[in-house]
Amino acid sequence: MKKLFSVFVLVAFAAALIAAQTPVNLYGRAAQGAKGVVAAAKPEASQVGIDILKKGGNAVDAAIATAFALGVLEPNASGIGGGGFMVIKMANMKEAVVIDFRETAPAAAKPDMFKFGEDGKVIDNASVVGGLSVGVPGEVAGLLYALENYGSKKMNREKVLAPAVEWAEKGIPVTVNLASIIQSELGKINKYPATAKIYTKDGLPYELGETIKNPDLAATLRAIAKDGKDAIYKGEMAERIAKAARDAGGILTAADLANYQVKIRKPVTGTYRGYTIVSVPPASSGGTHVIQILNILENMDIAKMGPGTPATTHAWIEALRLAFADRGKYMADADFVKVPLKGLANKDYAKVLAAKIDMAKAMGSATADDPTKFESGSTTHFSVMDKDGNMVAVTKSINYFFGSGVTVPGTGFILNDHMDDFALKPGHVQSVEPGKRPLSSMTPTLVLDPDGQPFMTVGSPGATRIIAAVAQVISNVIDHRMSVQDSIMAPRVFAMASGQVQLEGRASINTLKGLEALGHNVNVRADWDAYFGGVHAVLFDRKAKVLYGGADPRRDGQAAAF
Amino acid sequence: MRRAILSVFVLLAAAAALSAQAPAAFAEKPALLTSVGQSADIEMVKVLLSRGKVDHTADPLVTAAKLPGGAKTLVLAVGGSSKGLGAAGISTEAEIDRAKALIKRARELGMKIIAIHVGGEARRGTLSDAFISLCVPVSDYAIVVEDADKDGLFTKLASQAKIPLVKVDKITAAGVPLAAAFK
Repeated sequence: MKKLFSVFVLVAFAAALIAAQTPVNLYGRAAQGAKGVVAAAKPEASQVGIDILKKGGNAVDAAIATAFALGVLEPNASGIGGGGFMVIKMANMKEAVVIDFRETAPAAAKPDMFKFGEDGKVIDNASVVGGLSVGVPGEVAGLLYALENYGSKKMNREKVLAPAVEWAEKGIPVTVNLASIIQSELGKINKYPATAKIYTKDGLPYELGETIKNPDLAATLRAIAKDGKDAIYKGEMAERIAKAARDAGGILTAADLANYQVKIRKPVTGTYRGYTIVSVPPASSGGTHVIQILNILENMDIAKMGPGTPATTHAWIEALRLAFADRGKYMADADFVKVPLKGLANKDYAKVLAAKIDMAKAMGSATADDPTKFESGSTTHFSVMDKDGNMVAVTKSINYFFGSGVTVPGTGFILNDHMDDFALKPGHVQSVEPGKRPLSSMTPTLVLDPDGQPFMTVGSPGATRIIAAVAQVISNVIDHRMSVQDSIMAPRVFAMASGQVQLEGRASINTLKGLEALGHNVNVRADWDAYFGGVHAVLFDRKAKVLYGGADPRRDGQAAAF
Repeated sequence: MRRAILSVFVLLAAAAALSAQAPAAFAEKPALLTSVGQSADIEMVKVLLSRGKVDHTADPLVTAAKLPGGAKTLVLAVGGSSKGLGAAGISTEAEIDRAKALIKRARELGMKIIAIHVGGEARRGTLSDAFISLCVPVSDYAIVVEDADKDGLFTKLASQAKIPLVKVDKITAAGVPLAAAFK
């Protein structure tokens, strides 16, 4: 009888263990500390950054270690085969700097390189899957540039890369989120044997609670630690990367890799109710449009209208529509096309746009206006801030989950499919050109308080929804005085220039009915929908000398602090 | 302690055996695999059939007019995905109509029908449930990864239709009862 009882206790314990692994844990995502906070898409990656800070590294050292670790821990979202953007403002810097390590189109790329079928779609989905979708990766060049130029110098490459190597060797946990992504992308993964070898068990997906090891990636990371960016961009590895893309139908060459350049850019800046917004200029559209949207909303009393009300949500929808109309017409790589950046971020131009918003009626669709008159003169995101006010925001990506699907055999990393971010036909400002960077929505952003002091780092994955997610979180904090975690958890809304409004399921029924009464066609999505991004932010309460990290339960986000 | 752990495994194995009511092999090869709901789960079922050495062709959007196409058994990978439906350019209603016509034609041709749901709890919800409720009752046999049946929907549908239902604990385990259904 005693034995039977023990068996039942064990069974109950096993059941409890299984239950503990199930999703969506809304608690324990936030963290606060006096010395430093890292908020990233995986708890293990946040901890990597914190460990570096504890060992005496600065915010950039922590960010680079976190970035490489995320490439291992969240391989579906970013990695060595991808690119991204980073905004850095160390306490001793007058101005922030943007490191643009976005992919570029290969030299052999042409505006008409993608062929369309009678159904109007790209044949064989070639802009998303396979070698033709691969842009020249920029991640390693960008991350190492940041480490070399803004790191503390106390942490060498080997130390910063060590945690990523360790995770690749010991294996990463398959969470609910990762399991479902592998299942959804199984067709793409199985198309390429080198990818299937890592992420499947003989063609079937790894399941919840299992571990995925990637010793080849560990070896690649070790090579980077030893030889720096040359380990990727020159010699045998460059040839292997190019060959993998070409074997999968692509046009990448070793020369494309050798010619890759990180771009150091001046950030785009604006203000919102006295706070300064510092974000990324093209090749990302994100920063400019976050500022534009906030400029439009500054013409309304959003705080008085209240969070998530029909009026506030309506204002958001219309502001998003207006900004996305401009995005479609004007935005592209500013190194190739003249983009009216100052006009788009101009407050007078925002007034013109705000005047188009009828608070009693949905506009349905918006058309681009003319910002040129006001010209004077996308993924994973993480945020790092430390007690000295050093701020780093990084958004990086291989584009769609598992990128192009093409793993460079023997290296453990997947190549991006960011060529899909170009306009896929000739004749558009955003059409493919050799060396051009495809337009991004990635929006790593810093916010300074009205005294010009460090206040918040914020950003998100989520394609075009990034722009809405980042702007809404900033507004939640500034207008509605929400905590950073509450501002991330609040239901989100998204709209393009035209088409259905996307509303997160937890929005109130009154808001839904109110929007419909105004004439909006609303699609209600899941309660916690990864469609709306995964915001990771850190907020600094200077008076209390406390850093608050917030992370997004819509994905696997969790902040860490000390 | 070792004996206690062993006992747990024995209990769990017994529980698994109780939930399995696999019929003797009844389906003939080759099979035609299609999706009902356009989720990516069809890819997993494709691998399961290949591993089980079941000759098959796969067409996620096959229509009734193309039956039997040389196939003797219709395998339905059930699970809805709005992303998949969007990519295929097909509405939920059109997908339900396609599935209904397909099932009707398969019955007319005397084909056996197997419904399989491998997406687990994540592949449940209003959209998927519409496809599950359509397919399970009209199948000869159903297989489900058990966490999708936490609310007993599959058990209820199979019991009402008086068809055998096998529940497996994970996707990889679905291959054995699937292959065993084929002569």
